[in-house]
Amino acid sequence: MPDFKTLTYEGLQVGEEFVSDTFLVTPEEIETYAFAVDDHHAWFFGDSPFGGAVAHPTMLANQALRLRHSRYIVPAGLHAKMEFEFLEPIRPGMRARSRGRVVEKYERRGRPYMVTEYVTEDEHGTVLVRGRFTQMIFRSETHTP
Amino acid sequence: MTTTSQTATVTVGYELPTLTKEVGQRKIDAYSTVRAKSIHTDEAWARAKGFKAPLAQGMMSTAYVSEMMTAFLGAGFIKGGRMSMAFTQPVYAGDRLTVHGVVKETRPEGDATRVTVDVWCENQDGTTTAIGTASGLLR
Repeated sequence: MPDFKTLTYEGLQVGEEFVSDTFLVTPEEIETYAFAVDDHHAWFFGDSPFGGAVAHPTMLANQALRLRHSRYIVPAGLHAKMEFEFLEPIRPGMRARSRGRVVEKYERRGRPYMVTEYVTEDEHGTVLVRGRFTQMIFRSETHTP
Repeated sequence: MTTTSQTATVTVGYELPTLTKEVGQRKIDAYSTVRAKSIHTDEAWARAKGFKAPLAQGMMSTAYVSEMMTAFLGAGFIKGGRMSMAFTQPVYAGDRLTVHGVVKETRPEGDATRVTVDVWCENQDGTTTAIGTASGLLR
């Protein structure tokens, strides 16, 4: 069981691994995401070239971005960079989980950063999205992604 | 926006139709989930941390780019799409973003063509807030 220490640059270890909880992709979640990003593409709500509805390809990105919250209380981190590969469509009914690993940490202009590589998979282990993101670690106390 | 007729003649330098997004607080709340002590959803906290207003997550800009690319390439972005973005300036609640794309490169990939696009977001003042590339498969 994690003890939820506050994340610090000094305490973070390259090679640390994180696993998210499982997220059930529902039509309501797809619609909520569509509202949030104001993108109501017909494929999110009906048939698509993939046979049935699909979700916005970035829909599960916050699951990955919040991986470090599975173990730490996170001082607010500004998101610096994001890379995605969309390998398979996200579909309603999938139970998705993200796994990530800290691959680098560095300081630049006095600001600490961490770099995480991750995959998001469905319940069968099929990789849906692969990515890499860089987050700045705030040195003061807040609690956001 | 349909895709097939546009992408059939994709050439380097082609400018994608721009996309304009109003980044309201309710959208940010839905995207980030309302939380205490959040620079995204707690206005007082954001101001206490030195920001003039709550910030949108940078990730929202990747969703906007994704919308533009899906409109452009269709299924070849949903499956086979790639994106690399740097978030260079904050986006605040109430900002209006314009998303731009210009085709940078086309090259064969398997039985398809990978189309790479320079992409960026500008706010209402013309400041670039995010920049990078996105690509997808044209069949």
